[in-house]
Amino acid sequence: MTEDFERLRERLRPECDSLIAQYPDRRSALLPIMHLFVAEEGYASKEAMRCCAQMLELTPATVESVVSFYTLFFQKPVGKYMLQVCRNLSCTLNGAEDIMAYFREQLGVGHFQTTADGTFSYEEVECLAACDRAPCMQVNLEFVYDLTPQKIGEMLAAMRSGTYEVAALPQRKRPERSWAVEQGSQIARGERSAGGVGVEDADDAGGIGDSSGIIMLDRILSDPARFAGRTRERTVQEPAAILESMQE
Amino acid sequence: MLQPARVLMQGIGEADLRDINVYRERGGYRQLERAFKEFTPAQILDIAKASGLRGRGGAGFPTGNKWAFLPGTDQPRYMVCNCDEAEPGTFKDRMLLEEVPHLVLEGTLIGAYGIGCHQAFIYIRGEFKRGYRIMREAAEEARAAGLIGRNLFGTGYDLEFTIHRGAGAYICGEETALLNSLEGKRGEPRLKPPFPATQGLYNMPTVVNNVETLAYLVPIMERGAQWFASAGTERSKGFKIVSVSGHVRRPGNYEVPMGTPVRAIIDLAGGPREGRTIVAVQPGGGSSACIFEEHLDWGYDYESMQKAGSMQGSGAMVVFDDTTDFVKAAYALVRFFSHESCGQCTPCREGGHWLEQTLERLVHYRGVPSDIEILKKAASQLTGLNLCALGDSIEPFLASVINRFPEQFEARVLMKVAD
Repeated sequence: MTEDFERLRERLRPECDSLIAQYPDRRSALLPIMHLFVAEEGYASKEAMRCCAQMLELTPATVESVVSFYTLFFQKPVGKYMLQVCRNLSCTLNGAEDIMAYFREQLGVGHFQTTADGTFSYEEVECLAACDRAPCMQVNLEFVYDLTPQKIGEMLAAMRSGTYEVAALPQRKRPERSWAVEQGSQIARGERSAGGVGVEDADDAGGIGDSSGIIMLDRILSDPARFAGRTRERTVQEPAAILESMQE
Repeated sequence: MLQPARVLMQGIGEADLRDINVYRERGGYRQLERAFKEFTPAQILDIAKASGLRGRGGAGFPTGNKWAFLPGTDQPRYMVCNCDEAEPGTFKDRMLLEEVPHLVLEGTLIGAYGIGCHQAFIYIRGEFKRGYRIMREAAEEARAAGLIGRNLFGTGYDLEFTIHRGAGAYICGEETALLNSLEGKRGEPRLKPPFPATQGLYNMPTVVNNVETLAYLVPIMERGAQWFASAGTERSKGFKIVSVSGHVRRPGNYEVPMGTPVRAIIDLAGGPREGRTIVAVQPGGGSSACIFEEHLDWGYDYESMQKAGSMQGSGAMVVFDDTTDFVKAAYALVRFFSHESCGQCTPCREGGHWLEQTLERLVHYRGVPSDIEILKKAASQLTGLNLCALGDSIEPFLASVINRFPEQFEARVLMKVAD
């Protein structure tokens, strides 16, 4: 954990504590706490997920499995301006295809990619609930309506010169070409186990679960007292608790 | 020509109703005070029932009956306002959130009192950053004015209100997925039963109501259940905000009595573009089948839309004129559902993906003859086989337009792209 992150964590801690206090169960503060860190770091960093896990008394793998479910928690750094253009029905009926083609041409990148200079990240997204002003988009989650090539050209120029009205996202790390988590590493994306059991899978091949220590079944068997109470108590509410206990 | 009703949309565009002082000058929070001072929760429930109000989020379930399912236990219970609006074509809840946050809050608090709970939540879609900011400010103002918190209006009744922001997932609009998300979990729908009424948030009795549904409680309290029930039709009572978009001249939100003819609503939105004719309307959001020219004079209400082979759903009306490429339109929607499937149920996860790939081939004029058959057979292998309604929503639009405009789909088969 970097020094920087420790400072950030301490600065946010009071707000995290007050978020936790708003809910009958502290785990409910998972999304709100991650939103806080994402607002500061520009993406959902592994440090933030570990920190969130600690605050909520969860395993890092559990937090990652939740974070990876939500598309607004980018798991890798993104550019200063996240351009999310609607590709859904009402925008399609009003020329979204041309708008998307124009963006791709102007930026030289495609869906889910970041420009080489790290200024723009581009994504084609689903309905943003602004169909009356189609075609529409969001820039760092602020709406831009009634898109035309001219409007887009002016917007991109303002972003390049740093005069655009919407604040740039924090840039704690240089973005890569894409913020997508590697294809084929289903477990690293925190998806459900492929075996059909459907529990949150923490046997993590590259996520944050590994560094927190994977505990195999034989360790539970070798030290049953350490896990027994917690497992029994939590199994009643959610079967996934057995696996969570195993991870600790 | 029909004039739009002005019930929830009263005052929008005339005054800044985000300001609690402006809202109160216009009678705001008076109904909340009356609810607490003059009525018991049981009486509020009776008013909700008598008004005939039905869920405005899509399912159309009678609101009072939903509340009445709560068991009479002394367990903690919760009210959750569902503002995870993401149904394609729907933009009414975002408008209410951004324009009349205090009305949404007042309705939610009245609903919370109506079910006798002491903690209410609003779940706001992650993309609604502006709406989230506005609701936070509104709630702070309301708290400062003593409308949230302890001992409301000196009655000794405590009521907390928590704003929860999602993080990008259409499926969280499904009530059990929403509850999982609110519990800090992946937004995956739960197996029902048990229903949220008995085992919802934190396994406690819970009601999840749509933004528009809860907001209507305020005018219902003010003007009476009979007033609301006298508008609309026999079984679809009251008013409805319709989000009209697509090929119309003035897309926007229009509030009308239930049962208003579809054509009259399209006329409110300016009618078709110059020289164009309307060939289809999707009347209830991305999940609904299309209705066609022969249905345009039918009433816009739950029953008529069902009879027309579709549904009123969330109240999103997407209008298609004679320039529409229905293969592309179907592709946009199927791709959406495929993208938003949570992946728990195989028919939805795999079926959506297959349909998306098949339609993508057709869009690019690379279809093979069996593609049309695959698309037509999809319904029997998708619908009714999933935990939640998302899987059942993939195919209705596609099926309706492939039956109506088969030539558009057939034209994409066995043709090569002109290079």
